[in-house]
Amino acid sequence: MTRRQSIAPAFLLLLIVTAIISIGTGAVSISPREVVESLFGTGPKNHSFIIGEYRLPRVVLAMLAGAGLAVSGAILQGMIRNPLASPDVIGITKGAGLASAIVIFLFPKSPAYLLPLAAFGGAAVVAAILYVYTARKRVQPATLALVGIAIGVICQAGIQYLMVKNPGDVNAALLWMAGSLWGRGWEHVWAVLPWILVFLPIAYSLANRLDVLSLGDEVAEGLGEDVTRLRVVLLVTSVALAGACVAVVGSIGFVGLLSPHIARRLVGGKHALLLPVAALLGATLMVAADGLGRWLLPPMEVPVGIVTAVIGAPYFLYLIGREKRRGI
Amino acid sequence: MRARLLLPGFLLIFILSVFLSGCGTAIQNAQGTAPAAATQTEPTPAASSEKRVIKHELGETEIVGKPARIVVMDFSFADALATLGVAPVGISDDNDANLIIPEVKGKVGTYTSLGSRYEPNMELISSLAPDLIIADLNKHKAVYDKLKQIAPTIVLNDHQANYEHMLANYAVIADAVGMKEEGKKRLDEHQAKMDAIKAKLPKADAKLKVLPAVVNPTGFFAHSNASYAGSLMEYLGLEDAAKSEEAYPKTNLEQLVALNPDVLFLMKTGDKTIVDEWKTNPLWQNINAVKNGKVFEVARNKWALSRGLIGSELSSEEAVTLLSGK
Amino acid sequence: MQGASKAGIVLAAGMLLLIFGLVVSISVGWTDMGVVSGVKSLFAPSTSQEHLIVTTLRLPRALLAVIIGAGLGVAGAIMQAMTGNPLASPQTFGVNAGASMAVVAALVLLPHLPVPFLAPLAFGGAVMGGFAVYYLGAAGGMTPVKLALAGTAVHLFLASITEAFILFHQHSTDQVLFWLAGSLDGADWTDVNRVLPWSIGGLVAAFFMARSIGIMRMGEDVAKNLGQHVIRVRTICGIIVIVLAGSAVAVAGPIGFIGLMVPHLTRLLLGRESQLYLPITALLGALLLVYADVLARFIAYPYESPVGIVTAFLGAPFFLYLVGKERRAS
Repeated sequence: MTRRQSIAPAFLLLLIVTAIISIGTGAVSISPREVVESLFGTGPKNHSFIIGEYRLPRVVLAMLAGAGLAVSGAILQGMIRNPLASPDVIGITKGAGLASAIVIFLFPKSPAYLLPLAAFGGAAVVAAILYVYTARKRVQPATLALVGIAIGVICQAGIQYLMVKNPGDVNAALLWMAGSLWGRGWEHVWAVLPWILVFLPIAYSLANRLDVLSLGDEVAEGLGEDVTRLRVVLLVTSVALAGACVAVVGSIGFVGLLSPHIARRLVGGKHALLLPVAALLGATLMVAADGLGRWLLPPMEVPVGIVTAVIGAPYFLYLIGREKRRGI
Repeated sequence: MRARLLLPGFLLIFILSVFLSGCGTAIQNAQGTAPAAATQTEPTPAASSEKRVIKHELGETEIVGKPARIVVMDFSFADALATLGVAPVGISDDNDANLIIPEVKGKVGTYTSLGSRYEPNMELISSLAPDLIIADLNKHKAVYDKLKQIAPTIVLNDHQANYEHMLANYAVIADAVGMKEEGKKRLDEHQAKMDAIKAKLPKADAKLKVLPAVVNPTGFFAHSNASYAGSLMEYLGLEDAAKSEEAYPKTNLEQLVALNPDVLFLMKTGDKTIVDEWKTNPLWQNINAVKNGKVFEVARNKWALSRGLIGSELSSEEAVTLLSGK
Repeated sequence: MQGASKAGIVLAAGMLLLIFGLVVSISVGWTDMGVVSGVKSLFAPSTSQEHLIVTTLRLPRALLAVIIGAGLGVAGAIMQAMTGNPLASPQTFGVNAGASMAVVAALVLLPHLPVPFLAPLAFGGAVMGGFAVYYLGAAGGMTPVKLALAGTAVHLFLASITEAFILFHQHSTDQVLFWLAGSLDGADWTDVNRVLPWSIGGLVAAFFMARSIGIMRMGEDVAKNLGQHVIRVRTICGIIVIVLAGSAVAVAGPIGFIGLMVPHLTRLLLGRESQLYLPITALLGALLLVYADVLARFIAYPYESPVGIVTAFLGAPFFLYLVGKERRAS
């Protein structure tokens, strides 16, 4: 057990190292020493500007969004009792996507701040529909997942309709759909931070009850848990985290699916340990993917969501395969 | 018990990120004006220290003197600068220099590619230490505040501009780079040139129904009278066969036959396009343009990307040359 | 006996509706012509424009809807029978997404590839998508939820890759999106010729396998006891599904939910097992797609909309209905 727990600080270290490397990566390359110097305000001026204005906020935002999406996914997986659940799979990010597509296509002259607001609204609407289902007595968590998938399909059809009707503006929408940290700055960090600061501790405080829930509804009820209410609280927490992240960085896939998965393999299914490790892993994954996206084809930037999908999905398949062989 | 110890570790990352954010803000305060200061080291001619206030889509921007290091975020702006004989230091060209037409590239010389027009590389822009940035409303409004920090920025609505809007945008750019008079002179030349081109158009060709269109392997996208290419054709006194509020309606063969253009200007995206398939259909032969032998292939970067004085002169000239049969 | 007559009624009514749908389909579109003149122009002298529009564009388009609809419906029925899973279909099984990704990749990476080779490439993609979902979802028994989650996850992954291709080659692919939504607009005889051999082959093979498929629907153990060669049946059926769905995607893009909805509609109409199960599924699939394609022309009339959007808007509520039915059953 102690070995498992000592993994968490190790991942914190990994995150910091990844962040420093990622800050140094990009069209203008900066050595790790200069990165550290710049962070303490003693680096060369032009590099300090690039770091302070572009790379650092991106990396911090990547950490916050990665952690938020990972914990959101971990909660959903625990609640639905299926390792394939995540905010993107059950339609939450698609709702945000449809709302943002409406803004991009139908109100092209709208101010820039409207897009994240609309995206959060879209996620909230999907969440509300899911809430109606969850709050009903005796609803299987599996039903919730299927309803989410169906809503996702409807949203996807709407997005496609808008894209097809407006072929000239498609790229802006596609980039948003893929998820990107381009042009994000401190104002985006400040927009996400309160959500993370409020809801991550809430998620952590629910860890033990998530453990109970994973034993099955009957057992949980036998242990005095109000299952329906707990599920609603978990759904709200999960959607708040995912919605805030997606609103700012776009619908980034696979972080919410993959991070809890790796975490579970490393530290087991106890959520008190699983949630923090998943958060650290999600943050690391996002930071690494964003750095990779800047490094691959300069001066082009590969959107972070595409990098997470391309490296995340095959690894995910591999993980599932291993688990199957081990008979887990 | 050890599990409890994880809570502090869990929170550490957030304390860390808050700490880092604080740090970043400090850097920003200390260095915020650095790039702007760097450009001041270049000796500026005494004559051009006058201030101008340029009105654009997102407000007003004050520009001092004659900007020397200009960054443009779309092809049309590069065309405008080339028209004025100004070479931008950076262009977001989708990382493909061939998308800039040779006539513009020749005047622009060497420049730094800033990557995708949709997500131009901010670090590179700042490392170029520009003193003027020209951005597009649709693509870049979300980063206007960041661009402003780097250099005075003007934002124009190029994405939805037709020929007339393009001329208005050009005038704003001329003013912004401190060449209002030269800009006007060049615009007069342009108008004279366009009039000459128009005059070359055979009288019988006036009111011909033309249709510029982008064709790729899966579709045919008409450029309607709302689009730049379509409005340019109408300016020449021709008629765009596709009347629509949509700039680029997807068109199938049945619709094309109904639109029945007298002339087709096809911008191909590759060797193989859907038109190859359509050619085998007897209906294709029923289109006036095909009957008249007036189906022309033209370059997309000239006709649809280089939306500026140079591009419009070249494509108009090409149109008239093609129509008058050499 | 009663079952047979019921199937007969369904078959006859379906045929009538299909013929009516075809007539409507060749009569509506950009060029205004009534139903009567639409049909008339089928037989009009070959020089008239209306005749050409009907015979070279609208007729092949309507037939393509029939062929693809039938193929997708049968593919869905086979998948549901093989997996014993009511939510199985080419869409939910990642087959459509895999085939689309392969086709977009080919358009980008191999621009000189002759068009007929797109279908085999689409098969490759379809196999990949299908296997990925099977691999993810089959551990410890494939429940509907597992399948749906695995299918969605794989779908999202493949869609991201497709998006990446489009984003990085925007000057040659930005207009591929119309196709990606699933569309019959712009079909002509070349498309029909391209898909027909695969579809006929797949459908004929499926009808030959009808008995085995029916037995498989009763579960693997029953099938084994009845002397079925389970692995062989599964392999053949897998190939049939890949060919039917993959060739449809190669020509018309990923049209979703026909394969999900139609087998259920068939069962709803027939009530119980019938020898005509697969033929009627094929008929209903054709019927559904023909009418959806007519509908697609009216969404933004006179401009076309992709038919895949129509089937998604019909299919998603149906999916919800199935979920509700499953819940009540369990």
